[in-house]
Amino acid sequence: MNELFLFISRSRAFILFAILEIFALWCVYRFNNYGSAILFNTTSSLIAKSVKTQNSIIRYTKLNDINENLARENMRLNAQIAQLQNTISKDSSNLNLDSAFIGRYTLEYAEAINFTTNQRNNFITINKGSNDGIQPNMAVISATGVIGKVKMCSANMSLVTSILHSENLVSSKIKKTGKLGSVKWDGLNPREVELLYIDLYETIQKGDTIVTSDINSVFPGNIMVGRVKSVKKGQQFLNITLNLSTDFRNLSYVYVVKNSLKEEQNSLESTISNTKK
Amino acid sequence: MTSNILISNIARFAFYLGLQIILFRSLVLFNVSFCFIYLGALLALPKEVSHTYLILISFLSGLVVDAFYNTMGMHAAACTIIGYLRPYVLLLITPQRGYEEKSDFSIKSMGFIWFVTYAGILVLIHHFFIFFLELGSFSLFFTTLLKIVCSFLFTIFMIIIFQYFRKK
Repeated sequence: MNELFLFISRSRAFILFAILEIFALWCVYRFNNYGSAILFNTTSSLIAKSVKTQNSIIRYTKLNDINENLARENMRLNAQIAQLQNTISKDSSNLNLDSAFIGRYTLEYAEAINFTTNQRNNFITINKGSNDGIQPNMAVISATGVIGKVKMCSANMSLVTSILHSENLVSSKIKKTGKLGSVKWDGLNPREVELLYIDLYETIQKGDTIVTSDINSVFPGNIMVGRVKSVKKGQQFLNITLNLSTDFRNLSYVYVVKNSLKEEQNSLESTISNTKK
Repeated sequence: MTSNILISNIARFAFYLGLQIILFRSLVLFNVSFCFIYLGALLALPKEVSHTYLILISFLSGLVVDAFYNTMGMHAAACTIIGYLRPYVLLLITPQRGYEEKSDFSIKSMGFIWFVTYAGILVLIHHFFIFFLELGSFSLFFTTLLKIVCSFLFTIFMIIIFQYFRKK
């Protein structure tokens, strides 16, 4: 027994090292695979507070850009409203839409208080959390396009997995033809993503718009992703590079999309997968 | 350890960690060159600090950086490794006249070449670990290698510069 204690005391440095190392790696593993954070992150209250203060100072220098973006978004939305009103007044007689379906998406605005674009896996911290009704797996978009999905929430903060993350695939389509593919970041340039699984014989040109698909489990359909930058022939599929429509290095306001029919959809789909088993 | 040295060490940690979090977190050159200046505080810990404390301090400072970078333990893991390896590296590069009892690891007291070797080995280990852990695989090998080299140069450069800002 005595020898055991002697051994422990002699190699206590190594034992401590091994314990801490395994603990740290376990935390990395847990977060990557299950999304549960054991350690602190930017959604923890004290750290969020300091990040927020820092951000509010930086934001002050960007107010001009932010204002311009908001004005531009207003302009776009006003144009859209005018256009829609025009169509409604023309044939309002056969307009009979399901109100539950129309009103299923509600938006919650939030500020991006902390974000990275240079890591392999990038996250965005936003200043709304479960107190504001935000839950994991909700979509996050901005005025210019897709941003990512909520990974975890604390009471007043949420951590969002950005599109610029190695495991974040977004189901998308070519707007013109409706062909489906997946958008994935290759980890190199924060302004570009790749569009995967588009067949070799598809016609696609430089400048074509890519939007989220309607069968997307996270995003609402027809949200802008980006424009085609280059198309090359691969072995099985086309290698397509997109210019992202959103500049992730200049994020300010984002919207979290709440889908009121999501639970219904999920429970329906899970019954199907259960009966399959 | 006298309280004077203790206070100066705590102040150094606060300074380097603050610098890392406030300034160098958003300063990334050409998308590939990161600067982990907080390693400077770990490198400068005096020789009297025992091995277990060294590991513990390294782990905790990694944890603080992790919290701000949203990396969930990667920095903690990498720092624990260099905290554990530091005494062995010191043995490896013992200067000819040996270490004095109260050695202070800086360019001023140990010489430029010694310090660069010492910092270089540990920073390189740290960077290798951090970037390959972040990657999770060896898929983007050359890009990551480029990141490691660029970040290594940037970090070492900043650590050396901050050595010259020290109080005489």
